[in-house]
Amino acid sequence: MPLLECKGLTRRFGALIAVDAVDMRLEPGEIRAVIGPNGAGKSTLFNLITSVLKPHAGEVVFAGENITGFPVYRVARKGIARTFQRCHIFPALSARENVRLAAQARDARRAAAIADEALEHLRLTRFADISADTLSHGDQRLLEVAMAIAQKPRLLMLDEPTQGLSLEETDRAVQILKAMLRAGDLSVLLVEHDMEVVFKLADNITVLHRGRVIADGAPAAVKADAAVRSAYLGGAD
Amino acid sequence: MSWRLALALVAGVALLVPFVVPQYSLTVIVSALIFSLFAMSLDLMVGYCRLYSFGHAAAYGLGAYCAALILTHLQVPLVIGIALAVLVTVAIAVPIAWICTRSTGVSFAMLTLAFAQLGYAMLFRFRELTGGSDGVVGIPRPPGPFGIDWFQGKTGYYYLVLACLLGSYLACRAIMRSNFGAVLAGIRENEAKTLSLGYNTRAYKTATVVLSYGVGGLAGALYAGFAGYASPELFFWLTSGHVLIMVVVGGAGTLVGPMLGALFFVFLEHQLSQVTDLWPPIFGSIFIAFVMFFPGGILGLLRRRHAAA
Amino acid sequence: MNFASFILAQCLGALSQAAVLFFIACGLTLIFGIMRIVNFAHGAIFMLGAYVGCTAAALSGSFVAALIVAPLAVGAIGMAFERVFLRPLYGRRDGGAHLLLTFGLAVVLSELVRIVWGAQPKSLATPEALLGIVMILEQPFPIYRLFLIGLGLAAGIALWQFLERTRAGLLIRAVSQNSEMVHALGTDVDLVRTAVFGFGCAMAALGGVLAAPLVTAFLGMGANVVIDAFVIVIIGGMGSFLGSIIGSVLVGFVQVFGAYYFQDLALALMYLLMLIVLVARPGGLLGKEE
Repeated sequence: MPLLECKGLTRRFGALIAVDAVDMRLEPGEIRAVIGPNGAGKSTLFNLITSVLKPHAGEVVFAGENITGFPVYRVARKGIARTFQRCHIFPALSARENVRLAAQARDARRAAAIADEALEHLRLTRFADISADTLSHGDQRLLEVAMAIAQKPRLLMLDEPTQGLSLEETDRAVQILKAMLRAGDLSVLLVEHDMEVVFKLADNITVLHRGRVIADGAPAAVKADAAVRSAYLGGAD
Repeated sequence: MSWRLALALVAGVALLVPFVVPQYSLTVIVSALIFSLFAMSLDLMVGYCRLYSFGHAAAYGLGAYCAALILTHLQVPLVIGIALAVLVTVAIAVPIAWICTRSTGVSFAMLTLAFAQLGYAMLFRFRELTGGSDGVVGIPRPPGPFGIDWFQGKTGYYYLVLACLLGSYLACRAIMRSNFGAVLAGIRENEAKTLSLGYNTRAYKTATVVLSYGVGGLAGALYAGFAGYASPELFFWLTSGHVLIMVVVGGAGTLVGPMLGALFFVFLEHQLSQVTDLWPPIFGSIFIAFVMFFPGGILGLLRRRHAAA
Repeated sequence: MNFASFILAQCLGALSQAAVLFFIACGLTLIFGIMRIVNFAHGAIFMLGAYVGCTAAALSGSFVAALIVAPLAVGAIGMAFERVFLRPLYGRRDGGAHLLLTFGLAVVLSELVRIVWGAQPKSLATPEALLGIVMILEQPFPIYRLFLIGLGLAAGIALWQFLERTRAGLLIRAVSQNSEMVHALGTDVDLVRTAVFGFGCAMAALGGVLAAPLVTAFLGMGANVVIDAFVIVIIGGMGSFLGSIIGSVLVGFVQVFGAYYFQDLALALMYLLMLIVLVARPGGLLGKEE
């Protein structure tokens, strides 16, 4: 049984169809990247899955359960954790407090231990008592990821995790993510613009263009796909 | 001077007050303590959830009128009457809180004001029960249970109020330092993120508002028992205004700050009213000045001086 | 009594109510449109206008004098407040500051009114020229209320044309949409804001003077009015001038028909309306912002 299934998801904003009858499947343990040009509907798709936006048509099925239209917090409780494109953290709280709050939602008793563990994974332990708004942009993004894994999710959804990171920070992030993914029983859905990161991490890729799925498969196949080349890679890569 | 020493001094002073201070001043002090409790209750909403309520008089008025009616119509001891009043206030607060937390910001403020205005109007609608503009007078302080009656005198009542204030403060502080309080911090900082972590933020806000009304109702009930009467003024929107001023001027989000704000308010009112009739707009002006220049309130100022020293 | 003429009288009553509400609500919505602030002091401003109008009329013996003096005086006070207190805080991220500031203004104004004019309500006599009744379909109807409908209509049309047709109106609409752009084009946006805030207050004060012959000037008249104005603006859309007209008419009808059919509970009806509106659009302000 697939972990996540999107069936015919559609969402409009006035006359604009941001997401158009999108079908997508994610198997347990799979790492899938969602790519596409700007405005392709990637973040909207994420928002539909996590119920930040309600679809105008279609369903979201998670672990066999129809979670379409559930309140945002219930979706999170089902085992879906996400990061945001614009990096949402709690600025005035310390790094540890940030992650602890995430862990507390899942397991209040062991929250402190889980938080420290997550900080450790993301190599952020030295920032534990520092207030989050003083961290560098790259570290804030990693902090957000730490919060996501502290929720002990079954599905981790990362929305452009390497955006705004330097080459060196990106490399580091990829290393950390790879280590985490191999170690845990986790499925990942990843929106990413950086193609190198995508090809390093993803098992499968879904390509969106103007709200529709135009390709879906293993990285090599997608790279070679003509429709993808013309729409996205535009020939000039 | 360390905080602990200051705390010990304050505690000592508080316990000895009735014995060193004239009876008239004791009345003012008890009023000040009741206001402190009222202000602290509002801080739970304003300081810990950033929910600005313009209608907290509703909690105060509810507590006062419930206590007034229970004590005058039923033969129950004072403390039981007060406890029942708090329970009724909490029960009424639940649907109000649930409705109001559907919104934030100005809409929340307007909804709370609307409920307070509704309460005010109800007082005049059901005047056979509430006494209309005359209010409820002659509220007794029946002794009991077990024949306890030390609170019937002014000194005894002072200790009753002090105990309630201290107890409420410790309870609220414990709650705000617990996991519950951590979630409120998240809601304050970034509610969308807190939701996406899996917290039902509306439930948390509702619970906080209900708690706020409960403690506010306790203040109102204590007032009714102290003053011996309850009047519509308690529901008037300026009462909500004054307590909000106490919270902001004292320092929101600290529990202690609003208590200081209340003491400051009562003290200033007492001093200024002897000198000029203009003291109410002076308060409003002080409030405006604090909003503009000292958002941390009096407590914030004290902390800065303490840190600098 | 003819049912048709009764309904007509009620409708006209509702429209006269709507006219007074319009003066208050349009100010509130214009202020929000231009500054993204809900002026909580609007009710107190309305009350101040009523009291100033009463005094102006008593001193000069002229209702017209009250209609001119009150809006001008109160509008000036509004502009001064905006300039001194609101303007410095535009940068602040926390919207709570503006909410508290206008709340503080409401408190200060209300307390000042209490001190200056005392606790007893002040009456304002309906002007001679507008006294009396007119028979409409055999139902008596006060001339004063017809006057209100006429004035409201005239003001509504005039303002609408002003906003749509004049350069100043265009400027105001532009600042409502995108103040940074307008600022970049060289306009003193701060001045526009101050002027609109003053104008909004003047309108509310005018509403107060017009309402005084009907309800007298009394303490606490502001608290209910600010809720009414808020409901109107939410119904019509925050910042929408035409919306404030529609909302005023709707609320006017709800209040008048509610008062007739539910009497005492008419007040509760208003709050119920507010609840329904806010529940339907819980975001309130924020909903419109998106």
